[in-house]
Amino acid sequence: MVFTSGGTESNNMAIFGVALASAHRRKIVSSMIEHSSVLAPLSELEQRGFEIVRIAPDREGRIPPGSVVAEIDANTALVTLALANSEIGSILDTEKFAEAASLNGAVFHLDAAQAAGRIAVDVSALRCDLMTLSAHKLGAPAGIGALYVRDAARIAPRMSGGSQENGMRAGTPNLIGAVAFGMAAEAARSTMAEESARVAVLARSLLERLRASIPALRLNGPANDRLPNTLNLTFSGVLGETLLIALDLEGVQVSMGSACAAGAVEASHVLRAMGLSDADARSSLRISLGWNTTAADIDAAAATIARVWRRIADREPLSAEAAS
Amino acid sequence: MRPRVLVAMSGGVDSSVAAALLGEQGYDVVGIAMRLAPESTPTARKRGTCCSHDDFEDARRVAELMNFPFYVIDLRADFAARVMNNFVSEYLAARTPNPCVMCNREIKFDRLWERARALEADFIATGHYARIERDATDAFHLMRAADESKDQSYFLFMLGQEQLARTLFPLGSMTKTEVRARARALGLANADKPESQEICFVPDGDYASFVERRASNSDIRAGRIMDNRGNALAEHAGIHRFTVGQRRGLGIATGEPLYVREIDRASGNVVVALRDQISSSGLVAERVTLVDPTLAEYEEVRAEVKIRYRHRALPATLRFGDGDRAEVRFDSPGPAVTPGQACVFYRGDDVLGGGFIERAVLS
Repeated sequence: MVFTSGGTESNNMAIFGVALASAHRRKIVSSMIEHSSVLAPLSELEQRGFEIVRIAPDREGRIPPGSVVAEIDANTALVTLALANSEIGSILDTEKFAEAASLNGAVFHLDAAQAAGRIAVDVSALRCDLMTLSAHKLGAPAGIGALYVRDAARIAPRMSGGSQENGMRAGTPNLIGAVAFGMAAEAARSTMAEESARVAVLARSLLERLRASIPALRLNGPANDRLPNTLNLTFSGVLGETLLIALDLEGVQVSMGSACAAGAVEASHVLRAMGLSDADARSSLRISLGWNTTAADIDAAAATIARVWRRIADREPLSAEAAS
Repeated sequence: MRPRVLVAMSGGVDSSVAAALLGEQGYDVVGIAMRLAPESTPTARKRGTCCSHDDFEDARRVAELMNFPFYVIDLRADFAARVMNNFVSEYLAARTPNPCVMCNREIKFDRLWERARALEADFIATGHYARIERDATDAFHLMRAADESKDQSYFLFMLGQEQLARTLFPLGSMTKTEVRARARALGLANADKPESQEICFVPDGDYASFVERRASNSDIRAGRIMDNRGNALAEHAGIHRFTVGQRRGLGIATGEPLYVREIDRASGNVVVALRDQISSSGLVAERVTLVDPTLAEYEEVRAEVKIRYRHRALPATLRFGDGDRAEVRFDSPGPAVTPGQACVFYRGDDVLGGGFIERAVLS
């Protein structure tokens, strides 16, 4: 277990580390719906001559195993995929990927930043070689994460200096962060079954109530095999950007796509890859529930979201330009 | 409940102070920065023009300091469709557009207002230097700024009663010096930031290249530069490279300076003439709007008319024709009138209204 500053560093360490350690293999297999901390390193490696295969998801946001497995060959250095998608919560069925990677001698990396604490993440059962973890997703402070490394010989360190973290990451470790991470992980494990069930009930209740008050509301992502806490919804007739701001002003914090450098939100690359139109992607928001979300919060959120959606649909016409 | 005001913030000192003042006055301020220019233009990286990323960070710091919420919104598609495309098509049609006027008309006081309503704002505010006053009959007046050198009422002529009723210009009675002093007193980091000058989506000032990049070749109308008597003086690469009244960059060496008098889209001819041959006795304006719409009922209205932002207003008589046209007759021959520019009607400090110049009436 190599402690890092968080999920982004872990993903960078995994991708660049394997690329640096790989003598001849020049291919990396991934998907179109990964987190930016995976997509950006892949683009950089692409510019340095690596062949990057980005598999398209199906309309539900699942990565079809057949198409990935077909791409994994003797030239493949790394297969890197999210265990649970951060935007739509779809959960990867890892078995075939793990098998194909192993058969072809490729390293199998799972980005479990979003999954850990919500579903079981057992590196043996999942048969991954590397796994990204992020502590603040479990309720620990930001600034600490980890990369599980099965075999240190297959990954080159990117931070050189002292011999901390078994030589995998030089620099004085964030001890307090690591302790907090450990405590949070323990707490998450002991309450996960109960907590997942509780959050799933709340999320279902929120979805049902929103469906009852908002016509044509659509849930993005698969109906099953999904994280219990993540709802990605398309609200027809309104801009997600306006809905997000209006809700924030009323104390309901939701998210959308990803923020650009200027702080504006961009249409989600995940939803676009799933085949949603740009207009539908721009009308979509992500609602995440956490360990501190209560039934009263859900009552308030359901009422506020429905009321605010109605107001915006009445007052801000979607311009033809913005929709095109 | 405190009235909510949505403040359009660019990151510059003016809109920052405007937002801060409204906060001090007890308004429920929501800061909004608009993403307008596309990423591909150098604006996105250049500080000091409107709407670059660094400018948004400046605006965000002001919001944090003054403790009000701040959001960046993406109006690039609307801006491209309603302002940039218009800019290109106007140049191609032998007119000289004013994109800041179009941005106010189409984005800030239209598209942004829809957003403000959706966010339950009672007002929108900007850092423009202009005043809004309400008279004894509850009618709203749009007026020049107290600081004459900064007055931006020219860019706002399209505001009607309904818009004026829900718009705030907190800087209208202040001088720029006072605004900067206020910014320093508030501890705003952008207190001494330079003014933005160029058009935000053409930061290098090269309009012609911008138009050429966005137009198809068949839309570019090349032709000849002619003198007043029909003699061809030179060839030119496109009428969009010329503006009525322009002197520099004609590429003709003559004794006396020549000015562009007329641009004819059909023939591609650019007619040049001596200075005293380009003046006009009046103009026809289109898409005219009036702050007080009952003014159109008069047969003739006396006014002072400004035909470019930096020009002095000229005494004139207005006649409102059919539809939204108006005829402007100057008391004495005026300077070159440039089709496409805004012409704004004043009476003293009051803005009566304005429109876009359709054509000059040459003297």
